Amino acid sequence: MGAENTVNNNEYVLQMHNIVKEFGELKALDDVSLSVKQGETVAIIGPSGSGKSTLLRCVNRLVTISSGQILLSGEELARTDSQGRVIYPPESKMRKLCANTGMVFQHFNLFPHMNCLQNISYAPIKVKGVEPAKARERARELLKLVGLSDKEKVYPGQISGGQKQRIAIARGLAMEPQIMLFDEPTSALDPEITGEVLAVIRRLAEQKTTMLIVTHEMGFAREVADRVVFMDNGMIIEEGPPEQIFNNPKCERLQSFLSAVLS
Amino acid sequence: MEQVYQFFINLFNALAAELQYAKVLMPSLMQGLIVTLKIFILTLVMSLPLGLPFALGSNSRRVIIRIPCRVYIWLFRGTPLMLQLFFFYFFLPIVTGIKLDGFTTAVFTFVLNYAAYFAEIYRGGIESIDRGQYEAAQSLGLSRTQTLFGIIIPQMIKRVLPPISNETITLVKDTALVSVIAVGELIRVARGAVNRDVKVTAFVIAAIIYLILTFVLTLLSNHLEKRFSRHEAQ
Repeated sequence: MGAENTVNNNEYVLQMHNIVKEFGELKALDDVSLSVKQGETVAIIGPSGSGKSTLLRCVNRLVTISSGQILLSGEELARTDSQGRVIYPPESKMRKLCANTGMVFQHFNLFPHMNCLQNISYAPIKVKGVEPAKARERARELLKLVGLSDKEKVYPGQISGGQKQRIAIARGLAMEPQIMLFDEPTSALDPEITGEVLAVIRRLAEQKTTMLIVTHEMGFAREVADRVVFMDNGMIIEEGPPEQIFNNPKCERLQSFLSAVLS
Repeated sequence: MEQVYQFFINLFNALAAELQYAKVLMPSLMQGLIVTLKIFILTLVMSLPLGLPFALGSNSRRVIIRIPCRVYIWLFRGTPLMLQLFFFYFFLPIVTGIKLDGFTTAVFTFVLNYAAYFAEIYRGGIESIDRGQYEAAQSLGLSRTQTLFGIIIPQMIKRVLPPISNETITLVKDTALVSVIAVGELIRVARGAVNRDVKVTAFVIAAIIYLILTFVLTLLSNHLEKRFSRHEAQ
């Protein structure tokens, strides 16, 4: 897995090589390698505790790895030196690198003291130094994209979960990241409103936004992903195009997982 | 019937005499009130901001910063305010040779004391902010300072408003303590009148003044809390 990927290939927005993450005794990630190409949508599926979210959170350093190498658009975010120590670049460089990724969280994590427009435009103004008027204009375009133009002046506490998540997607997109990371974006939502969030992500996939999505929505993964990765026990067990993963799973664990979630 | 009538006449006369007496007392009580308000406002204006660096310091990862901040908070919250007043008024001049007047000592002590309390309130407020807020800020590339001042502290302020207004009301009443170092605030003036005239009227008036002050503060804090929670869900 990932062995054919050459380092510093700019076609890859994200390259993760031999990632290990230990939480004390527990190996949350055990030698995981995963790369995502420009314009590709990759879905990660697997049972809870399989390390999917941990892997995703390594990409923007919300979780620091125990060993391995991570490259974002060919630039090194983390590497392991000959003594086995993990080396991250200095704080400011790292922030710049991580700002190339946009993240959508399970629990939205919108800023409750800012209205929707401010939520979206705050980071571009503060981090990228975009002119406030321009940032607001871009934020309005993004609000339109996620279908919430009327919520500009509304605060997160006053909108539904589905709307919050759409604002969160717009907030992530506002930084114009090279890859969008979704950490179970619909898990905290009522079933009847997951559709509106999935529709937005589907639209992004159509526009060839590079995305890495951790999800429990099998139907969605099958429909929207170019490639599906199945994880269990901190390892990637099987990966491939959705048809292969869902129609013709090779390994037994994936078969039993699919029969459990799809029944 | 005659007796009841006479009773009310007497009561009325007594009240009229009290009011007359109160009118005589008022100018000096008002001067005391001004001193009280000065201590109150100066303390609040200085200790509210001063609490923040101590709150951040007491959560610092660096021991050199964290330990002194925690010791400071522990000392000032762990000893009686009156003792601190005595310390700075009587003891410090002996050690340092600097003799401050009562009023300055009072404000100085109160600022240090209240900053310690506010620091603990701020620290609790900061710690109550969901980890997801930090994660979101980090994922957007915000620096630590930007996260703190743009994301965390604005949310913290809303949460600490109730305990802060509580402390503020306590502060109004605590100003009475400075009478022990001969600062002529409201209570000291009132006690002077009570001792001189052997009448408790001055204390009653002082009590009414304190009640009015705390009532105004309560209204103010209610107003602020409402303002800060206007973005909440219905």
